[in-house]
Amino acid sequence: MSKFLSKFFAIREIPVAIALVIVLGVTAFANPAIVSRSGALDIFLGVSVVAFLAVGQTLVIAMKHVDLSVGSTIGFSAWLIGKSTADGHSLIYTMMMVLFLGLVVGALNGYLVAYLELPSLVVTLATMYIVRGVFSQISSGRTIIASEVPKPISFIGLNSFYVVPYMFIVVVVLVFAVGNIMHRLRPARDLYAIGSNLPAANLAGIPVAKRVFSAFLANGLLASFGGIILLSRFNAADTNSGTGLELNVIAACVVGGVAIAGGVGTVYGALIGAVLLQSITMALGALGVGQFWQLAVNGLLLILAISLDRYLTLRVKPSTIMRVKN
Amino acid sequence: MRIKFTWDKGVVLLLIVSTIVGSFITPYFATSSNISFVIQDVGEIMIIALPMTYLIIAGEIDLSVASIVGLTSASIGFAYVRGVPFGLSILIGLVVGTLCGLINGILVTKFGLQSLAVTIGTLALFRGLCYVLLGNEPVDFLTAPITHIGYDNIPNTFLPYSTILLVILGAAAWITLHYTRFGRWTFSLGINPGAAEFSGIPVQRMKLLLFTLTGLMSGVAGVVYSFRFASASPSGASGYELAVIAAVLFGGVAIAGGVGTMWGVLAAVMVLGVIRSVLQLSNVSSNALLIVSGSLLLISVVLPRAIEVSRSRRKTSTP
Repeated sequence: MSKFLSKFFAIREIPVAIALVIVLGVTAFANPAIVSRSGALDIFLGVSVVAFLAVGQTLVIAMKHVDLSVGSTIGFSAWLIGKSTADGHSLIYTMMMVLFLGLVVGALNGYLVAYLELPSLVVTLATMYIVRGVFSQISSGRTIIASEVPKPISFIGLNSFYVVPYMFIVVVVLVFAVGNIMHRLRPARDLYAIGSNLPAANLAGIPVAKRVFSAFLANGLLASFGGIILLSRFNAADTNSGTGLELNVIAACVVGGVAIAGGVGTVYGALIGAVLLQSITMALGALGVGQFWQLAVNGLLLILAISLDRYLTLRVKPSTIMRVKN
Repeated sequence: MRIKFTWDKGVVLLLIVSTIVGSFITPYFATSSNISFVIQDVGEIMIIALPMTYLIIAGEIDLSVASIVGLTSASIGFAYVRGVPFGLSILIGLVVGTLCGLINGILVTKFGLQSLAVTIGTLALFRGLCYVLLGNEPVDFLTAPITHIGYDNIPNTFLPYSTILLVILGAAAWITLHYTRFGRWTFSLGINPGAAEFSGIPVQRMKLLLFTLTGLMSGVAGVVYSFRFASASPSGASGYELAVIAAVLFGGVAIAGGVGTMWGVLAAVMVLGVIRSVLQLSNVSSNALLIVSGSLLLISVVLPRAIEVSRSRRKTSTP
């Protein structure tokens, strides 16, 4: 039994999930009014965009890289969808444009990081500026208003299956699809190998550059398709859409057990992390803590999460190291 | 004698070229009032870039600097509206900034956490505390004494008062990085932390000190920021962290640590300031600035890498 328990707690996602249950439990106990349709809708709607982006970011962070350009890409894409529809283009044509945007950004990041072996933090910081600049230049202050949002996209944001908005269902489907791929498929497993020990991954014959390139490409594509979620969430888009999202996304991943040091973490964890951060925000409101405390508490939570993770790995690590040595 | 091309020399060259080209493009650029404006405009970024250079060379990073600037400014405002004398409020602000840096340092050195992740957390934490202190209400210091030195020039010159601060801090950071044991230790931390440890360098204490200094300097930047705008707002200086890091990396400091020069960074901060000014004066939209700084940042890593690759190819082809 204790063996089972220790195995259970060794799963990285469990502590975060427990924290989530505690937060929701305490909040529900202290303020029963929050257990309502609108309360649930608030969390699900609030979390969708970050959770969607966290899926792609997990691929990247697992390789010990980081992608800061996603906020610019998703904002650009959301605006592009609205503008293209307003110009009378079909949804298919619009999605082709979005696909192209994601391909260009993802391939540029991927090429520079994978084949020129440049640091991802610098590369994606630069592309974050460039994409945002090009976006601002093209949009030149043109705001997309609710009536210009394509019907299917506003539909998934405004309607829900009981208390779960369709938008969030899309996110969950994506999480399970990518989660399965990362669990089963060899190329996806390679990402963990690259993140935990790069020289070893090279020696083991993993085509590292190809994998890194693909992961950045996938993240770029996911970020551009995330434009659908961003647009349906706010039913509007402008030059500032998606600004600053990149740090929220990385925070969600890290809280969810996707360590910045690479090699560990799952998209399920990232999803739970995103939901936890969102729930805390909501819980503070429900518990009557002033709205001004929310950001500070989120920051504190992130620091706690990585400290706890560090503590747990330190406690678990020695035994595994011994086993390898024998 | 052949001078080996390194990126930081290129940045200095770029500073000269962009200044000359700028004065040709627009007659308003090389005016005394504009030079004063450019120096004020790059002030906070340059002050934070100094310790950030040390941190990145030592193989660490701090994303919370802009939030520390904001929190320093917010603390000054918070104390000032509650009747604390202005001078003492500034001191409180500096202490708060230093404490923020100390917290980052303790989390990284004592807890053994990754600085990138930690400072994303403290970025949110410190910014959140700004809102806790001020709510949504900005505070203005218009009635406070001496804030005019934030935007006035030194009498009989076209240089703003902040020039004095920038020159002193810049020179101190330059000399310390390149001519003292402290500077050499900083480099060795970034080149090989393990080797640094074994050669008797107090690695953890050095890192703690560097983070604390970063906090202090961000606090100084926060004071300059409060003086310049004669106000404190909870969202003040948001987004500066990436601008600072971009400037430092553009100045030839390697994100992997161990490589970089102070003059490269100083020149890089000035280049970005000059380009921003020229673009604004020639009525190019501010979006172009985003594209230009992003492209420059990209070029700053791609070009040295491309040169390196072509050199190693040449070597292997002629055995």
